[in-house]
Amino acid sequence: MKGPFTYLLLPHLWSSRNRAGRRERGDLTRACLFGGVGIGVFLALFSGAAWLTLQLQDYDELGDYLLRLGLSWIFMTFLAFLAFSGIVTALSTFFLSDDLRLLLTAPVAARRLFYARFARTVAQSSWMVVVFVTPILLGVGLASCAPASFYLTSLLTIVPFAIIPVAVGTACTLLLVNVFPARRARDLLMLMGFLFAGAIVILLRMIRPEQLVRAESLPDVTGFFSTLQSPVTPLLPSFWAGELLFASLKGGWDFLHAGALWTTALASCVGLRMADERWHFSGYSRSQEAPKARFTKFRTLDVIARALPLSPVRKQLLVKDLKVFLRDVSQWSQLLLLLALMLIYLYNFRVLDLGRIPYMSGFVKNVYAFVNLAMAGFVLSTVAVRFVFPMVSAEGPAFWLIRKSPITMHDFLWSKFWTGLVPILLLTETLTIAANELLDVDPFLKIVAAVAIVLLSLALVGLATGLGARYPRFTADNPSQVAGSYGGVAFMILAVLLIIVMIVLLGWPSTNYLYYQLRHRPIPAGRLAMMGFSFMAAVGLSVITWLHGMRSGVQALDAMSN
Amino acid sequence: MIAVHNLVKQYGKFTAVDDVSLDVQPGEIHGFLGPNGAGKTTTLRMIAGLLKPTSGRVEVNGHDVTREPELAKGSLGFIPDRPFIYEKLTAAEFLRFHAGLYGLDGNGVMDRVHEMLDLFELRRWENELVESFSHGMKQRLVMCAAFLHRPRAVAVDEPMVGLDPRGARLIKDVFRRMSERGVAILMSTHTLEVAQEMCQRLSIILKGKIIAQGTVDEVRTLAGDPGDHLTSVFLRLTGGSALQELDEAV
Repeated sequence: MKGPFTYLLLPHLWSSRNRAGRRERGDLTRACLFGGVGIGVFLALFSGAAWLTLQLQDYDELGDYLLRLGLSWIFMTFLAFLAFSGIVTALSTFFLSDDLRLLLTAPVAARRLFYARFARTVAQSSWMVVVFVTPILLGVGLASCAPASFYLTSLLTIVPFAIIPVAVGTACTLLLVNVFPARRARDLLMLMGFLFAGAIVILLRMIRPEQLVRAESLPDVTGFFSTLQSPVTPLLPSFWAGELLFASLKGGWDFLHAGALWTTALASCVGLRMADERWHFSGYSRSQEAPKARFTKFRTLDVIARALPLSPVRKQLLVKDLKVFLRDVSQWSQLLLLLALMLIYLYNFRVLDLGRIPYMSGFVKNVYAFVNLAMAGFVLSTVAVRFVFPMVSAEGPAFWLIRKSPITMHDFLWSKFWTGLVPILLLTETLTIAANELLDVDPFLKIVAAVAIVLLSLALVGLATGLGARYPRFTADNPSQVAGSYGGVAFMILAVLLIIVMIVLLGWPSTNYLYYQLRHRPIPAGRLAMMGFSFMAAVGLSVITWLHGMRSGVQALDAMSN
Repeated sequence: MIAVHNLVKQYGKFTAVDDVSLDVQPGEIHGFLGPNGAGKTTTLRMIAGLLKPTSGRVEVNGHDVTREPELAKGSLGFIPDRPFIYEKLTAAEFLRFHAGLYGLDGNGVMDRVHEMLDLFELRRWENELVESFSHGMKQRLVMCAAFLHRPRAVAVDEPMVGLDPRGARLIKDVFRRMSERGVAILMSTHTLEVAQEMCQRLSIILKGKIIAQGTVDEVRTLAGDPGDHLTSVFLRLTGGSALQELDEAV
């Protein structure tokens, strides 16, 4: 190959152009939904940054100091993210990507291939940081009436700032794949990543940041600033980026930190390229080795399956689904993050200080019971779209095995349903019961919420299974892609609507019941009938959603077979 | 030409390729036969520069694949068993990109692309996305790409899989014409009729080791029956008694 390394990026550009030229069903819905969320987040970050900057300007030098510190803090947060993202992305771009099978057989110089792959790694690892940091810097710049050079400096800061941690991450990957086979390294990283994220989230919550806004628990000013400043070290690129931007914000130019950023970025590129030329091929060669299977002797599953009152076909489908799930770290490791979020959710209820509003506490508690129900419903739909909706698609190219077997599509899909329902029901029921216990809500509401979760689980898991069969994506690379498809988005919209309607249908009779109970008055017969009707409507809606979802899924699979 | 010297590939304690040596001269079609898992694909991947040999040496057109990878790869056309094609590119875009990888540029590139598309009967689909192609069409597109830069040697893994009789015939004709022009072709195949019909020399690999090498007649003689059909020879050499057990089981 004679041209520059950017030639190797052409297929991705051409593919994107060709993909953009073809319209698929649901493109508009997806664009509206994700575009709307994106614009919302952009505006929130922009206005938050601008508002905070304006507030800080009231405090002259102290405000400047805090702004300077804040910029370093923002970049400090992104630094860790970029390094970890670089490790994970480099595994894919340098070692596991399918197109390497084509490029490595072509006479492409190792140096050109390295630069093309590294450019892709930097772009893939840092686009999210750029998306987040752009509205923040725009907000800060506009609120400070910064000169035009600030925006140019921002660009000149972000590029080397992204390159340095991604280069460090890529170097770690290079080292890892030369020690472990790449696929095993990916699993390890995936697990570490989710454990790390879960631990951070729990840690941040456990330090109870809400106490900072309580006047009685404010620390003294010196202690406060020393705590804030402690992680900002002058040796990190985040500090250089913060200083450079702050100087530019004030109309100046910080050559020292600009030089530090750019020279480090260039040096890390050159150093990494030399290491890549030396060790990439051996690492790539190792990545071709098949990973050893986990849970090959996981007999407990077979024992449990044997004990279940299921037909042999359903037993085998269940065992197969569970083994495939357990052997794929990218699947179950996400549950760790979910578990961490659930713990925080429950912890929030534990530390909720409703005693501070004594006259309202009884009422607020009962309102919270429904908020809790809605939250559990959202957790349920999120888990369902991520784990249940892709279950049919997960059969992938092996779906022919099911279709040629003497199994009805009805049996197949219902097997998927039960496999998804049991863990989700356990998860959300535990969440709801525990939260209501911690809140000490009215016993009647505890029962209503517990029953509502059973109904919602049946309805949402049924809907996810059915829509997953109706809109399968057998060629998707991973379940996240399936969850983000047209069917997945449609499921989320329907799920949110169902949860809202269920909350209304259950909330209205429940509050009526509590109203009459608190006043020790009997419920009028007409009102009682209406309440009963509302409860029954909730039950009916759930059952119809569940069964209709499943039937529509079975019909779609049958139509596919014909 | 392709020259493989004492090639070894180990995965941990498992030896996938064990001291394999072979030599494919210009104009020769060399059949590389062996049962599933014998080490054919691993050997071909080392020849193509996709796998690092544990020991041994591979030369393509006189260039060492490890020491002069660009020169060696520039002389080789590789057709893998599971080829990668950018699914969202059109056939012409894929070939144009491939041409660039091998240093072909200028006005003549599209003429060469069209020539290859005509040769493999894909011209009608030149502006269609690859994702809409059948298996056989993808196979032919990969062959277009492999021959695009006029390689001096070709390593091909199972070229006939998934091709209809017309496609198979086309590929055989192309391989013959290439070998007549002096291209060295190393072809791994399970289709023994194809090997018997096309190959001047054969290497049979079993459990990573070459167990027979020579012309078709030499291999027949080695197996003990010069007049026997190649299938019987292959089964005898690679442990075909399992077939009888299979018969009994069925």
